[in-house]
Amino acid sequence: MTSDDSYPILHAEGVTKRYGARTALEDCNLTIPRGRVIGLVGPNGAGKSTLLQLACGLVTPSEGTLRVLGETPAANAAHLAKVGFVAQDTPVYANFSVGDHLKMGARLNPTWDQGLAERRIAQVGLNYKQKAGRLSGGQRAQLALTLAAAKRPELLMFDEPAAALDPLARDGFLRNLVEFVTELNASAILSSRLLGDVERVCNYLIVLCASRVQVAGDVPDLLNTHYRIVAPRGELDHPPAGMEVIRAQHTDRWTTAVVRGDGSRPATWTIKPIHLEGLVLAYMTRAMGVAGQPLMTSSGEVGR
Amino acid sequence: MIWMSWRQFRGQAIVGGAVVAVLAAYLIYLGLDIRGSYQTYLAQCPDAGDCSGPMGQFSLDYENTLLPLAGVLGLVPGVLGMFWGAPLITRELENGTQRLVWNQSVTRRRWLLIKLLVVGLACMVVAGTASMLLTWAAAPVDDVANNRFSTVLFGARFLPPIAYAAFAFVLGTVIGLLVRRMVPTMALTLVVFVIFQFLVPNLVRPHLLPPEHLSKQMTVSAINEARSLGSITGAPVLNGLTIPEGWITDVGALTQADGKPLSAKTFDDCYMNAPKTGATEGPYGDIAVCLAKHDLHVDIAYQPWNRYWAFQLLESGCYLLLTGLLVLFALRRIQRRPA
Repeated sequence: MTSDDSYPILHAEGVTKRYGARTALEDCNLTIPRGRVIGLVGPNGAGKSTLLQLACGLVTPSEGTLRVLGETPAANAAHLAKVGFVAQDTPVYANFSVGDHLKMGARLNPTWDQGLAERRIAQVGLNYKQKAGRLSGGQRAQLALTLAAAKRPELLMFDEPAAALDPLARDGFLRNLVEFVTELNASAILSSRLLGDVERVCNYLIVLCASRVQVAGDVPDLLNTHYRIVAPRGELDHPPAGMEVIRAQHTDRWTTAVVRGDGSRPATWTIKPIHLEGLVLAYMTRAMGVAGQPLMTSSGEVGR
Repeated sequence: MIWMSWRQFRGQAIVGGAVVAVLAAYLIYLGLDIRGSYQTYLAQCPDAGDCSGPMGQFSLDYENTLLPLAGVLGLVPGVLGMFWGAPLITRELENGTQRLVWNQSVTRRRWLLIKLLVVGLACMVVAGTASMLLTWAAAPVDDVANNRFSTVLFGARFLPPIAYAAFAFVLGTVIGLLVRRMVPTMALTLVVFVIFQFLVPNLVRPHLLPPEHLSKQMTVSAINEARSLGSITGAPVLNGLTIPEGWITDVGALTQADGKPLSAKTFDDCYMNAPKTGATEGPYGDIAVCLAKHDLHVDIAYQPWNRYWAFQLLESGCYLLLTGLLVLFALRRIQRRPA
């Protein structure tokens, strides 16, 4: 694998995607450095699939420029070889057998690693003769993951890979995914409605909500620059310089707020560290406005 | 990519192959039957002289079989466009599998090009096989009937069916790229192809080469060769003339010896109140005699018989050119606006 760090894995400038009158992604500006496992979280319809499909060249931006591994997505065969993509609901050819799919991978990808593919198929216990249309959701996801990984890409992208899987299958799938990324020494982007999935495997987070990127960064950095503040009510209406209030909740006398800043604050305010879930929730709440407050269910799913 | 195209096409190819095999078996049977019959009629010819009687009967015997067969062959490209062309892209889009295959290390442009080549060649082989077998089977009848330029038969012999098949197939693919749903694409493909099959023979084919002209004197026997007299608007014209020189593409107005067109009144007078002369020749009898008295001529635009191969090549070439343009459009479109 190349160790060339001269370009980021993904660089977006003012990327907007419209489908007719509907704006799926608006003014997206991102620079994602290499060597990360990136989590892309947001509720349904936030624009996660759109961003990933833009990144693999399945759709083209309405405005703005997007570079993946330094080039326009799907620009040529060599670039396609460097990017692996597993689409939502993991499409496979129903009338192709598992073996046919591997043959397809081998024929269509010059960088194909047959050994890796066969090892993976054996590991997850798939039968070569089985038609892909008869596989379970979990098996299909494993087949799609194998196909994407065995071309040995520099960047692997997964659109809601675990959405259709039961908890046990999801656990196995995510574990495999991390193994893959490590083995390939690749970067990976993983979209999910489930913060839990992302939190487990990702070290870089993008929160996408209401068609816009709300926040993006390395997880440790995010946790270091965000915290909870409890302050007497009213005092947070005018936060000190360098502090941005993301979300504030009030009681009669106190205001609890999620803020971004360097930690400096008046002595009368109490400061607490924040969990990733609280941070994501704060950004989403702000993005959705008062009307559509997103809720985090007990399983960690972000819904409306 | 060739393996991939073949693997996806295999099922359709088997069905297509089976249909072609049945059709081929029938056409071979028909061809042998026609040849047997030809020998029988030939034996009825007088030893010396005119054999037009038995040969005319021979030709009539098979007209009712060969004309519908030409119609069937005319539909083959449309069916190929529907069942092989229309699903080429739309089935991927409807199953979502384009998101799998377009992320292999093959550009969409190359993916489409190879698929078009593999399946397109198969379409041309199917149409070519059917066309060549029908051409062979019908050859003795065609020789006798000498109507190779007729609207339906011209498009059902030798090369044009192959070009039609390539065109219909690519048409189906391109419509699929734009419409993106399989069933509407199939319907639209057939409709557009049928429109082409109506328009081209009537509006384009007669003008592929500048016609030759001749002036034909409308004698009694010449008038009696016409299929009908007068037009629906009452204009003084003769319809359905034939000439030994070639395929008539246009017949001018009836003109008198002085070059003036025959008036509708004179024509109607002859048509309604021809003097009784006791003439019984041909279908028009006294009317023909009356009209011929005016020393009538018509200007005939025609394509000589020896242009048959030029027309075969020209019409096929036009369709192939159109096919090529559609391919270029599809390749541009799929790279720029995939979804």
